[in-house]
Amino acid sequence: MSDAAALPVREPLILGDKSLAEVTGDICRPLDARPTALWWAGFLASLALLGLGVAAVSYQIAVGIGVWGLNRTVGWAFDITNFVFWIGIGHAGTLISAILFLFRQRWRTSVNRAAEAMTLFAVMCAGLFPVIHMGRPWLAFWMFPYPNTRGSLWINFRSPLVWDFFAISTYFTISLVFWYVGLLPDLATVRDRTRRGFRRRILEWLSLGWNGSYRTWLRYEIVYVLLAGLATPLVVSVHTIVSWDFATSVIPGWHATIFPPYFVAGAIFSGMAMVLTLMLVARSTMGLQHYITGRHVDVMCKLVIFTSGIVAFAYATEFFMALYSANQYEQFVFRNRALGPFAWAYWTMVGCNVLVPQLLWFRRVRANLGLVFVLSLAVNVGMWFERFVIIVTSLHRDYLPSSWAGYAPTSIEVATLAGSFGLFFTCFLLFCRFVPVIAMAEIKSVVGTPARPGKDL
Amino acid sequence: MSRRYWKSIEERDGGEDWLPADRDEFPEPLAVLPDAPGTLGRRGFLKAAGFGLAGTLAAGCQRGPVSKAIPFLNQPEEVMPGRATWYATTCGACSAACGLLVKNRDGRPIKLEGNPQHPLSRGGLCAVGQASLLGLYDRWRHRGPLKRGQPASWADVDADIVSALAAIRHRGGALRLLTGTIVSPTLSATIGRFMATFPNARHVVYDAISSSAILDAHERTHGRRALPRYHFGQAAVIAGVDADFLGTWISPVEFTRGYRDGRSLEGNPPRCSYHAQFESGLTITGTKADWRTRIAPGEEGPVLTQLAARVARRAGLAWPAGDVGMPPVPGAPLDDLAGRLWAARGASLVVSGCQDVAVQVICNFVNHLLGNYGRTIDINRPSYQRGGCDAALGELAAELAAGAVDGLLVAAANPAYDLPADLDFATLARRVDLLVSFAGSPDETAALAGYVCPDHHYLEAWSDAEPAAGCASITQPVLAPIGGTRAIVESLARWMDDARPAYELVRAHWESALFPRRIPVEPFETFWDTAVHDGAVELQVAPRESAASGTSAPLPDPVAAGAAPPEGALSLVLYPSVGQLDGRHAHNPWLQELPDPITKVTWDNCASLSPDAAASLGVREGDVVRIETGGPSPAAAALELPVYIQPGQHDRAVAIPLGYGRASTERFTRAGPHWLESQPGVGPNGLVGINAAPLIVFEGGTLRYGGRAVRIAPTGRRIELATTQRHHSIIEPRQVSSAGSRPIVREMPVSALSAQQPPPGATREGRGLWPDDHPYSGRRWGLIIDLNACTGCSACVVACQVENNIPVVGRDEVRRQREMHWLRIDRYFTDADESVDVVHQPMLCQHCANAPCETVCPVLATVHSADGLNQQVYNRCVGTRYCANNCPYKVRRFNWFTYARADAVENLVLNPDVTVRTRGVMEKCSLCAQRLLEARISARARGEPARDTDVRTACEQSCPAGAIVLGDLNDPASRVAALAKDPRYFQVLEDLNVRPGVGYLAVVRNRDADPGKAGHV
Repeated sequence: MSDAAALPVREPLILGDKSLAEVTGDICRPLDARPTALWWAGFLASLALLGLGVAAVSYQIAVGIGVWGLNRTVGWAFDITNFVFWIGIGHAGTLISAILFLFRQRWRTSVNRAAEAMTLFAVMCAGLFPVIHMGRPWLAFWMFPYPNTRGSLWINFRSPLVWDFFAISTYFTISLVFWYVGLLPDLATVRDRTRRGFRRRILEWLSLGWNGSYRTWLRYEIVYVLLAGLATPLVVSVHTIVSWDFATSVIPGWHATIFPPYFVAGAIFSGMAMVLTLMLVARSTMGLQHYITGRHVDVMCKLVIFTSGIVAFAYATEFFMALYSANQYEQFVFRNRALGPFAWAYWTMVGCNVLVPQLLWFRRVRANLGLVFVLSLAVNVGMWFERFVIIVTSLHRDYLPSSWAGYAPTSIEVATLAGSFGLFFTCFLLFCRFVPVIAMAEIKSVVGTPARPGKDL
Repeated sequence: MSRRYWKSIEERDGGEDWLPADRDEFPEPLAVLPDAPGTLGRRGFLKAAGFGLAGTLAAGCQRGPVSKAIPFLNQPEEVMPGRATWYATTCGACSAACGLLVKNRDGRPIKLEGNPQHPLSRGGLCAVGQASLLGLYDRWRHRGPLKRGQPASWADVDADIVSALAAIRHRGGALRLLTGTIVSPTLSATIGRFMATFPNARHVVYDAISSSAILDAHERTHGRRALPRYHFGQAAVIAGVDADFLGTWISPVEFTRGYRDGRSLEGNPPRCSYHAQFESGLTITGTKADWRTRIAPGEEGPVLTQLAARVARRAGLAWPAGDVGMPPVPGAPLDDLAGRLWAARGASLVVSGCQDVAVQVICNFVNHLLGNYGRTIDINRPSYQRGGCDAALGELAAELAAGAVDGLLVAAANPAYDLPADLDFATLARRVDLLVSFAGSPDETAALAGYVCPDHHYLEAWSDAEPAAGCASITQPVLAPIGGTRAIVESLARWMDDARPAYELVRAHWESALFPRRIPVEPFETFWDTAVHDGAVELQVAPRESAASGTSAPLPDPVAAGAAPPEGALSLVLYPSVGQLDGRHAHNPWLQELPDPITKVTWDNCASLSPDAAASLGVREGDVVRIETGGPSPAAAALELPVYIQPGQHDRAVAIPLGYGRASTERFTRAGPHWLESQPGVGPNGLVGINAAPLIVFEGGTLRYGGRAVRIAPTGRRIELATTQRHHSIIEPRQVSSAGSRPIVREMPVSALSAQQPPPGATREGRGLWPDDHPYSGRRWGLIIDLNACTGCSACVVACQVENNIPVVGRDEVRRQREMHWLRIDRYFTDADESVDVVHQPMLCQHCANAPCETVCPVLATVHSADGLNQQVYNRCVGTRYCANNCPYKVRRFNWFTYARADAVENLVLNPDVTVRTRGVMEKCSLCAQRLLEARISARARGEPARDTDVRTACEQSCPAGAIVLGDLNDPASRVAALAKDPRYFQVLEDLNVRPGVGYLAVVRNRDADPGKAGHV
């Protein structure tokens, strides 16, 4: 897929003047070697967090949802905050793999595999919360529209939670298929490098008999483009539908038409930040400096600042609409957001999502990978708080002042949040061990530049 | 064209009888031996066994139904499973003795309701009365007599007591019987008989919440120590001075009903009494007042003197002789009040709860000047609801201190708990040789007593009541005693060698003493049956000659300077809270969890301070302060209580509710769910709240609840109070709270009401863009709540809790804002001239036609019925809580834990018609769907449509003010349809267009029209 339009003056996407064999070798190295001490440390820490989360959720299911800090006024807090946060994180993967693919943004080849994996794991984390936040999670299957023996009992198609269920399950399915299809050539490469044995048998099975023939490649390219086309609307739809959970309600602060674009932009924003966080770590710990270069970081930083601008605009629009609507409840909610008991959360959100990313306007900042790492963490924190602010500050003081209440998380809720990070990182670290973190087949197409093609085999 | 293939010639030629082999493998029948008729063959056996096994397994896969439903071997008369039986009886929860109808299901009472035929309560019942049902099923009640703390037999205890009494009788020793007010004529007569058998015996009556000064004052002015009956319904102008007559004072249910009658807003001009209230703390009576003025504790005397002087001037009487100085309240409105009182001579009423006899004498003087005696105040047909004599109590204490009492019997009172530290009853009582308590459940006095002869719960006992002269009612048992308790009247009779049971004693007394007062004359049997059936009968009252009208009484002395503390000092106001009264129901979790109508605090008492006082002390809500009484008095006492900041309270008052810190509340340590972060359900002292009764002052022959000077110092500790309405919602930073008014409650002056035209009906329910989801072609149930009638007394809250099996969640859960009440009473303050105005708004599911909760439930667990109910389907609910989030009224309640308890006795109170909810499901007001259904079924059985007069919700039935009306909004003849046309009608948050089925009628204040005041809060 060499691109004749590529300008010769453009920096190569992959540094180090790699041959294709070197690419394969570099990327497959972690799969061949024994895990490093650093990997073990990270894995055990993640596993410990996951264990904590499993304990917290088991306790909550055994004892009751009352072990969370919710009350009669604030019916959702950490649970749905975490859900929306993880769904948001899960956005960057599809964006990078599908939309950037269709737009021929070839730098994406270095990060798309990991971003898609991140998407899958984030959606897995997200998918947990709608289930465990139920009062009776053992009845979660009632959300499925399946024929049953309970008379004409059916689900409520007017409920945004049902739409959520469809949106997320579709998104997860498409993302998984997309990721897996993209993985096929690489699995075949790994298979071919593996000696006979159990592992090879599994890889043979997983690579679906990939033989690298012209026909196989042709089919592969067609399927990949089609899937990219299918996945593209999902990037927009999933978070749009998630935002309807709020936008279709009557609660001031939730009931806003700006929510779908606002949520989608926020999701891309947080997803990009999470990709940056993960890639910067992977780059330095897995020796991928030649593949994930300063240029990649630079491009992603630009996306971050762009989406930060959209998010900031949405924040401002909310306040403007409150003022312009002359709706006293709406006005109160936003005054309460900025000045009320949860003002600290609001200003954390503004600081992390609007102010801090402004530093990325400077090339020097974008080139300083340590600083970018810190900034990306700040954005992750800020985006978590954005969902917290939307959910909790809108609920805790709505229409009738007699029912206004406070909210504070319990240790169980904090442990559940930590557990979701544990699940995410456990999955991600296993992914780094068992799957090539960079799409080898794709990246080989951008090795070198047309002016100075990559070395031959 | 397909080709046909064949296998054989036969097939190709295909004769009639040729059967292809692939169609039937065995053309001729198989040689299977037919089963012998009546036997089960091998196949049949296997089929049956397989089916049986599969069926058994399948049936075992689900939780089986209750397997202990055993039918009656001999069905008791009157007990029909599933059918309720109603009995009329008398409430024994306090001495007001309201009439009751008890709902029995399967032989056990499950709900108390006011008896509409009772002349005093007229169908209302207060929160305490509603909740007293749970006392019946209290596991901690005495199960039988105790002898020195150990269970004993009645024979044993009787023998001991009889011999001890005989010894006292023989040597002429002093026997004293100390009781609370006794409204039972039979018990009074029996006590009289019993005491008469002793040479030196006296019956001392006191009330923990005493009104002794009123009786003493009438003894002075009218020559008769009696508590008059007050007729609030006939009063056009009411002045209350420190008398919470709608909340806790004497007979609040009766007074509430009367008060509401006087403010019914019927006719043109609308009937609306004028009510002025002078008080230090904020009471629910004060919240209803048209003019409420804060006075310092101890200023009741000067205020009444000033009022009396102004009324006397109008009456042409030069009283008082000297100068009375400046009034402690603004003079002009006081003049206005005096003018209104004078203009309404004979139809006005001045009441005071002050415990200073001199002040009460002035109160009587004012009423006399106004000609109220014989009209709004009836001294000839007095009330017996407070009969205590504090002076006699003082004498008893002196006797006890002198060691002159040989035997002390204590009944219907808890003096070791509720008497002031001055009297030191607990120490003195230990010196008495024979101390017998009749307490039905463990209390502080019973703990001291050598013998405890537990009385029945009133629902187990035969008794009677005459709460007001001429109004007698029967108390009949509605189930056999649960434990081995015995009625007091039986115990006393037994000790006089009279072995008759209570039933016979009551009946005999009625035949001999009450029946002769009955006119018209009828056979006693008929009279008795009527009394038992109806619950209450009217009797004649012998006219009394002595009732001096007061004209001959000398002019009273003015009380110019009260015991008010100096400027800047703080003084106490000890008051009975609406839920706890004097603490006699402290064991009742329903009442402990009932939010106080004013403070909204549950499970605790607190020291209320005005915002200014709190600011000057530098304390915030929840700060624990040490309250010390001043002076070198030996009875100086100290309490440590959390602060509650109460707008509308006088700046020099510290208001503390009584009735807390009762022994036996330690049982609530583990009330509520237990989990990792749960907190105990009691305070640091191991009890619910702290007893403030030791701070009561015994002075001038009466128990004084107010006016004691105290010092307050912060301790530096904090307690988070379990309030159901976050108090800081009203002390918000200005920039947050200055949002515009919310259309939640409406107020209007009475003048605006008569001027206002009903709004045209078409504008309210305008057509929307979309067709109606719910056209309500038949009935639409709706509820209309008259905020003007509502006093906030919270009877409906408890009634709802009893009717709908609403769990008690405990202090920690309330603190986490997880109370479960389906019906709550929202309380909103507005600034008034020198006080605050308060609106009480019962808030429950609004049964919206465009219900936001219904659209968001993913599993259709909340749906709309064709007749307008928003229904919650518990067993379909998965607990996403989305509905609660989307409810603008926040009336939905979630089962965060398993709140139901496995208490076999207590659970007998559960209403079998209402599901006990499990953990993880949402619940909310069902508009008493079970009652609507019952009405519909019985109407169908009669073959006629259900009318809204057939059915009343639990809250509606209980309301003493009749503020709640249920009905069919679609029926133009229904009460609700008429109310919905009222100019006061409004819907909360109407602009959301959720089209609620619950509407409200605006509060009306009898004030001059003030455009700034009318409107929204």
